[in-house]
Amino acid sequence: MDQYSILGRIGEGAHGIVFKAKHIETGETVALKKVALRKLEDGIPNQALREIKALQEIEDNQYVVKLKDVFPHGTGFVLVFEYMLSDLSEVIRNSQRPLTESQVKGYMMMLLKGVAFCHENSIMHRDLKPANLLISSTGHLKIADFGLARLFSNNGEKLYSHQVATRWYRAPELLYGARKYDEGVDLWAVGCIFGELLNNSPLFPGENDIEQLCCVLRVLGTPNLEVWPEIAELPDYNKITFKENPPIPLEEIVPDTSPQAVDLLKKFLVYPSKQRVSAIQALLHPYFFTDPLPAHHSELPIPQRGGKHSRQRLQPPYEFSVDRPLHESLVDPSLIQVHAWGCS
Amino acid sequence: MYHNSSQKKFWIFDKEAKLDQFRQEANQKFHSKALGLRKPGINESMFLEPREEKVLFRHYEKRLLDFCSVFKPVMPKSVVGTACMYFRRFYLNNSLMDYHPRTIMLTCAYLSCKVDEFNVSSTQFVGNLQESPAGQERALEQILEYELLLIQQLNFHLVVHNPYRPLEGFLIDLKTRYPLLENPEMMRKSADDFLNRASMTDVGLLFSPSQIALTAVLNSAARAGLNMETYLTECMGLKEDKETLSKMYDVMRRITTLIKEYELPKVEEVNMCKQKLERIHAEFTTNTNLKRKHGYEDDDHVVKKPLVTEEEWSDEDLDAL
Repeated sequence: MDQYSILGRIGEGAHGIVFKAKHIETGETVALKKVALRKLEDGIPNQALREIKALQEIEDNQYVVKLKDVFPHGTGFVLVFEYMLSDLSEVIRNSQRPLTESQVKGYMMMLLKGVAFCHENSIMHRDLKPANLLISSTGHLKIADFGLARLFSNNGEKLYSHQVATRWYRAPELLYGARKYDEGVDLWAVGCIFGELLNNSPLFPGENDIEQLCCVLRVLGTPNLEVWPEIAELPDYNKITFKENPPIPLEEIVPDTSPQAVDLLKKFLVYPSKQRVSAIQALLHPYFFTDPLPAHHSELPIPQRGGKHSRQRLQPPYEFSVDRPLHESLVDPSLIQVHAWGCS
Repeated sequence: MYHNSSQKKFWIFDKEAKLDQFRQEANQKFHSKALGLRKPGINESMFLEPREEKVLFRHYEKRLLDFCSVFKPVMPKSVVGTACMYFRRFYLNNSLMDYHPRTIMLTCAYLSCKVDEFNVSSTQFVGNLQESPAGQERALEQILEYELLLIQQLNFHLVVHNPYRPLEGFLIDLKTRYPLLENPEMMRKSADDFLNRASMTDVGLLFSPSQIALTAVLNSAARAGLNMETYLTECMGLKEDKETLSKMYDVMRRITTLIKEYELPKVEEVNMCKQKLERIHAEFTTNTNLKRKHGYEDDDHVVKKPLVTEEEWSDEDLDAL
């Protein structure tokens, strides 16, 4: 711990306080997530173990937050992450005007690259939401909070908990109590995030689990065996019945959106998990290759953590112009000569 | 994936001699530490020699496997394999005289259940000990006390790749691409046995899970009087690559030798070493709160009430299994 000097508190994580700190040796700013073990009857919490497990076994990826170190401290231990300025929920909340199409594309591309990487490494995140997508000071998006992440195996024997994923981003099979599911739950969440970026407000803001299902059903239409054969096997399918209603075209849900965006969104928001477009496939969608092209990370807003307004990027003092004579932007050597003498 | 795993990066060693060297060093470190205390009546002859540590290690490892095999609900193989590997990794850099294997083995099993998502509650876990409720509670307290130490000694490397999944893979591959073999399923039983025996040796610290699994398959075939050389030469495309092929044979020979050499220690020998171990632990670790010993104090945290001494929960309790 003496390797770090604490700079402040960032927030409260699922299993402890998160601090901003400086690595004394390198001067690097990091986030320290303290996991305390006091009074835990089952010992080290599963969430902390999962986070270590998931992040330790994958190679570095630009779009996944990096676990730099783990060390014991006090009655627990500390996870050291690279420090991130903000997260996507703050970007959405704080931007005065809706994000431009090109910015949305930029975020979606980074998100999908991160998700594709996790899935390639057999990790389902299970809790993708804007607050877990951190934004670096360079505008990069990185997936964080692997507290619910699981290594998945394709033998389909293991039962998982359905109480995963924050409600608004929870896939319909989870809402129906599925205990066997796959990385499709992440792809549903990606769809929800996509919709939220387009609309600047959450797509399915259910107040409770039942209402959540209503929100989804209202848009996608009441599911039946024809569109979603697997539904019959879901534990809670027979427990709840809803009034029949037809789907609403997504064009009406995300108005003023390009046809390509709607087309891609449709590919995420489908009932059968297996039919959702994979992250790697989605990256090849025409949406990312048509004008306006995805924004470069330097063109994306970076709000301060907890700040009310999005910070303007530092602008050069004046517009750069190719016609401007070069000597105007140079310092006259005679002006600094006096000081230069003083140095020698 | 095994290829970018912490196992491959940090827990695979090239020579058996290196493993022996680590254990020797851990043993030696305890010697000098204990002698350094200058307690009256302490001398070298009290301590366990590396050879004796090995005897006890094997004994407690077997106990760990026995505990896992009767565990209710039935423990998946991968959980058992991971627990075993934790135990082995832990005592690569620690002496049995530092930490009592009786507690460490249970802590390994407990942590492995959690890491491998085999969800049993802590009460359910200690419910598997043939113990009074009070004894179970004490055992749990010790497990939780050692959990942090264990995870730390494992360098926070939690994921263990066991050879069971590669074995499944090979069986599938044989069924689909190797028609010469009529019924690959018949090899499963003896291949499984082979892997179980492998878990009681150092092979998991020397070779990749797929190498171990392949050895299990070929061994099992040989027992059934089948020659599977063409699987390597044809299906794995090693016909032209004599160098890789001979390396592979060498690896498989080394794995098989290690497993054949394994012997369960004799009871008298175990008992003698146990007496020594108990005496050492009585001498050096009673009344030592683990947390204090490791400088675990933390000002913001209330220090837990002192640990019950280890004697209260003895080996005999486990023998009742």
